[in-house]
Amino acid sequence: MARDIVTEPDLQFTKDLIAAGGGDLKKCYQCATCSVACKIAPDNNPFPRKEMIWAQWGQKDKLLNDPDIWLCHQCNDCSTMCPRGANPGDVLKAARKLVIQNNSKPAFLGKLVGESSMFVLALGIPVVVVALILLISGFDVPAGPVKYSAHHLNPKDGFIWLPVLQVTFTAALVFAIVSLIMSLKSYWNNLETNNPVPVGTARKGFVPGLLEALSEILPHTTFKECEANNIRYSAHLLTFWGMIGLLVTTAIVAFNVDILGLAPPSQNGPGTIPIKILGNVSAIAFVVGLGIMLLRRLQTPDQAGGSSYFDWFFLLVICAAGVTGLLTELTRWAGWVGGAYVLYAVHLVFVMCLLLYIPFSKFAHLGYRTVAIAWAKSAGRNIMLPTRGKCVSAPPKEATQS
Amino acid sequence: MDHKIGVYIDTGYGIGEALDIDALSSVATSEFNAVVCRTEPYWSDPEKLAIIRNDIASENLTAVVIAGASSRVFQTEFTFENIITERINLREHVVWCHPPNDEDTQMLAEDYMRIGLTKTGKYEERPPYTDPNEKGILVIGGGITGMTAALGAAEAGYQVYLVEKEQKLGGWLNKFPKVFTGRFPYDELVKPPVEEKIKAVSSNEKIKVFLGSRVFSISGAPGMFDVVVRPDGSWIDELDAIQNQWLAEKKAKENKGSDEPEPAQASQEEAAKLPPMPETLDFEHEKVSVGAVVLAAGWRPEDPPGLEKFGYGSHPDIITNVQMEELASKGKLARPSDGREVNTVAFIEVVDEQIAHPWLYNSAVGSLVALKQAHYLRNTNPNGKAYIFYENMRAPGQYEKFYRSMQDDPGVFMSKGTPVAVTNGGSSLTVRLKDTLLGEDLEVKADLVVLSTGMIPLTKDSSILNLKYRQGPFLPENPYGFNDSHFICFPYETQRTGIYTAGCVRGPMDILSCETDAMGAALKAIQCAELVSQGKAVHPRAGDESFPHIFTQRCTQCKRCTEECPFGAYDEKPDGTPLPNPSRCRRCAICMGSCPERIISFRDHSVDMIGSMVKAIEVPDEYAEKPRVVVFICENDALPAIDMAGINRLTYSPYVRFIPLRCLGNINMVWIADALSKGIDGILLIGCKYGDDYQCHFVKGSELAQYRMEKISETLQRLVLESDRIRVHQLAIDEYATIPKLVDDFMERLSEFDPNPYKGF
Repeated sequence: MARDIVTEPDLQFTKDLIAAGGGDLKKCYQCATCSVACKIAPDNNPFPRKEMIWAQWGQKDKLLNDPDIWLCHQCNDCSTMCPRGANPGDVLKAARKLVIQNNSKPAFLGKLVGESSMFVLALGIPVVVVALILLISGFDVPAGPVKYSAHHLNPKDGFIWLPVLQVTFTAALVFAIVSLIMSLKSYWNNLETNNPVPVGTARKGFVPGLLEALSEILPHTTFKECEANNIRYSAHLLTFWGMIGLLVTTAIVAFNVDILGLAPPSQNGPGTIPIKILGNVSAIAFVVGLGIMLLRRLQTPDQAGGSSYFDWFFLLVICAAGVTGLLTELTRWAGWVGGAYVLYAVHLVFVMCLLLYIPFSKFAHLGYRTVAIAWAKSAGRNIMLPTRGKCVSAPPKEATQS
Repeated sequence: MDHKIGVYIDTGYGIGEALDIDALSSVATSEFNAVVCRTEPYWSDPEKLAIIRNDIASENLTAVVIAGASSRVFQTEFTFENIITERINLREHVVWCHPPNDEDTQMLAEDYMRIGLTKTGKYEERPPYTDPNEKGILVIGGGITGMTAALGAAEAGYQVYLVEKEQKLGGWLNKFPKVFTGRFPYDELVKPPVEEKIKAVSSNEKIKVFLGSRVFSISGAPGMFDVVVRPDGSWIDELDAIQNQWLAEKKAKENKGSDEPEPAQASQEEAAKLPPMPETLDFEHEKVSVGAVVLAAGWRPEDPPGLEKFGYGSHPDIITNVQMEELASKGKLARPSDGREVNTVAFIEVVDEQIAHPWLYNSAVGSLVALKQAHYLRNTNPNGKAYIFYENMRAPGQYEKFYRSMQDDPGVFMSKGTPVAVTNGGSSLTVRLKDTLLGEDLEVKADLVVLSTGMIPLTKDSSILNLKYRQGPFLPENPYGFNDSHFICFPYETQRTGIYTAGCVRGPMDILSCETDAMGAALKAIQCAELVSQGKAVHPRAGDESFPHIFTQRCTQCKRCTEECPFGAYDEKPDGTPLPNPSRCRRCAICMGSCPERIISFRDHSVDMIGSMVKAIEVPDEYAEKPRVVVFICENDALPAIDMAGINRLTYSPYVRFIPLRCLGNINMVWIADALSKGIDGILLIGCKYGDDYQCHFVKGSELAQYRMEKISETLQRLVLESDRIRVHQLAIDEYATIPKLVDDFMERLSEFDPNPYKGF
């Protein structure tokens, strides 16, 4: 195998990684316990041992173009077994943050979301946007039962004028999707040209790789292999499918209302129509899943891994969006008018936050991870999973007796 | 002389149940005329000891024989003032490893009674040698080790003479800007504590310091060394030249000898004579008399071969770690070539397979120095990058904490790696390495490249001790160039009694280890001065009051004793006979084995004594089908192994009789001849391992025994006996489990021969 020559370590990159949550990366002495402990590392060039020394040696190009850091699901089996407390799981996580930041388009938004010093500004933008929407809609609310959307401004028949809401949020979503696709495209290109892991010659295309990746991501098969933080598998699965459920609900409602012009009966509370049930179940799954992950982070950081600002920001936004959403529904059901409108406004802020920052916050992992796994699949790497199902069955009884 | 012997047979430990005690008693009383013979369980009991003391007083006993447990236990209990005490091991060697109430077991026990009582009867009265009475300590070297040793000895109340060749004490410590703290949390560096130490030494009135001086000569022996201290000058170069030429000639002679199948020492007709040093001291000098010497001469850097492969010498920015210390003592690091500030340093551990002994160049000290010097850079330059490339990163003990703190520093980059080349890239140097932890070849740019260097003991090829010994002015070297002793078991010891090495002259060491070492050596030196003044031996036979006695009238001036003594105890008289220096003697009795005239003896260990012990064994006639084997066994490792076999209840043939020797090097042909002509069927010799990693407590005793046994074929031919009747074995103390096989294999081989035809003659 032709071997590269490594030059100049990037000291600043190492410092960035440390700042991004890989604070113990220098403690690694390359015993490779982590790579042995990891159930989902491939047989050839397993992670995270090699990533650790790249991190120590400031090998920015290698680490940021390494798809393996996305194969890791941060179960922290490696960190709990590390004899030096170098926390490889946290180092990979920090590397993932830097990948998101480095591929951000536009780049300044990556910085805005990633730096704690920018917190006020990062939250301020959605606040301003929602405030503007409110300003356009007018602050007055109609009398009677809570009605969030106003179809007409004069007389005003709801809290917020729907068209302006639709335009703003759709614009934000489109911006986010375009930005994410551009970022991912650049990331894919980096993987193609600069990935540090040797790959075979027989390559599959992007689409077969993506399909294979999705077949693994949707049921979380790889995630299930983790041990130290296994409950996170269930929690993430709940959140993941809750999110999808909410997306589907929103899409169906929007399609019915805006495209077909149907006005389905507005139900309050638990509801009986399928769309309402889907929405409620998804919302509960979403919030419960997030709640578990949040508690784990707070209670058992040794297993869950360290949490950086980047983690907390995303968690705050997504939890706040979920919780305020659920509370919005509950207050309306309870008939607490004042609370319902305030909560709705707050909910809109966090949803805007979530949408706008998809490509820059930790939320972007849904894209990067999918792309990285797809790349790994297309490159013929990471093919032996899942491992647990393939366990050798117990030897027959006769054999054990003899 | 005739002894009045009291015999005390222990019936405890199962001895009473397994043996016919009355028969044993009658061996003592009827065959050996013991004055008293008592049988009781557990003689080590204070009440029972009182019975013995009472007998000693009432019967005027001169010797006491305890037949019971191994002589390795109850040594304090069975010590009686001015009474010879002999121990017979009926426990580990008889009842614990042979079937009870068996005819053969009983015969074995009775033979051990005869052997022990015969030995006791052969003890001679000879007062210990107490002439040496100097107790001052000479410390050679005024570095950290020497100063610490001097202070230690002085604080213990001994007069110390400290000789330092420089005009200032402190040695290398004066040249190092920072050293390790040795204190929690172990991650900092401090200024070397050298000034405080110099002050303490200079102000101590028990320490006399000779600055700018060297030892011109050391003559005499422990407790009576005469030392000539002379101001440093060109004379030392002349002396170096003379002594090194002598050493080269000696080695050439040895190498020539080694083509033949005999060890070098024994093959020598006569060692090359050292050119006489001027006897008249017609120069400025001072004479001191001391009891013991601490050699703390320290080290010198020696660049390993192949250093130029990495550009050393061709570019001013490629330096050794010793030069780096110098550079760092000037404050902020600047490049020697252009004075520019140093931002990147590559530390390279140079490993060359061609080097005879990489340990010299590749020690833990090298790793620690690289870590320390990386700290120099990072401490003065926050943007500095330090690369450490190692073959082995070794930070023993608490240094691990320093290593970890350096590892945590983002500006320190460590990797295992084999340096390939260092090239000059104009503004900076480029270092290329292979086999790195990154799994790739590595190329880094560096402003400064620091190569590890070797630590060579200063005693190597240079005149430090200047011993006026027949065996030469140097300490014997091991294959690595350090002085030879059994360094695992006996740190500080050398092959020249009363001279103890400490610090880097003994092996590459860090400063804290040097200090610990210095204290150890100082204590050893004090112990030596004290013991020899009481006429006692030092380690490993500490306390032994016997010493070699030579019946010079019968000496044939063959010089084998002077040649073979591993400790250089014998000088030579003008007439060619040996001149013993009893306080240099370790009492190994190798000289006793070497003497063809058998004229060297100890009061409790002699050719006659061992021969008589062999003859005391009862040999049944050939029709009894009970063969007899004598095992001459080293009492340092092999005999305790036999004890351990007994403790573990391992069983082996009851036909063997162990006769302990101080060292297998004691072995004398006459015992073999005596044994065979008495009808003994086979002879085993069990001693320590020899070779480069020898375990012999006396360095080469077992090797000499092996060599002598190769010459035994003549004796066997004369007696018309098979040569396989004699076998030599090496046994380590932890190999006790192999003893049954070792013995039984030999018995098996013997069973292929007819019984020894000399039985009954």
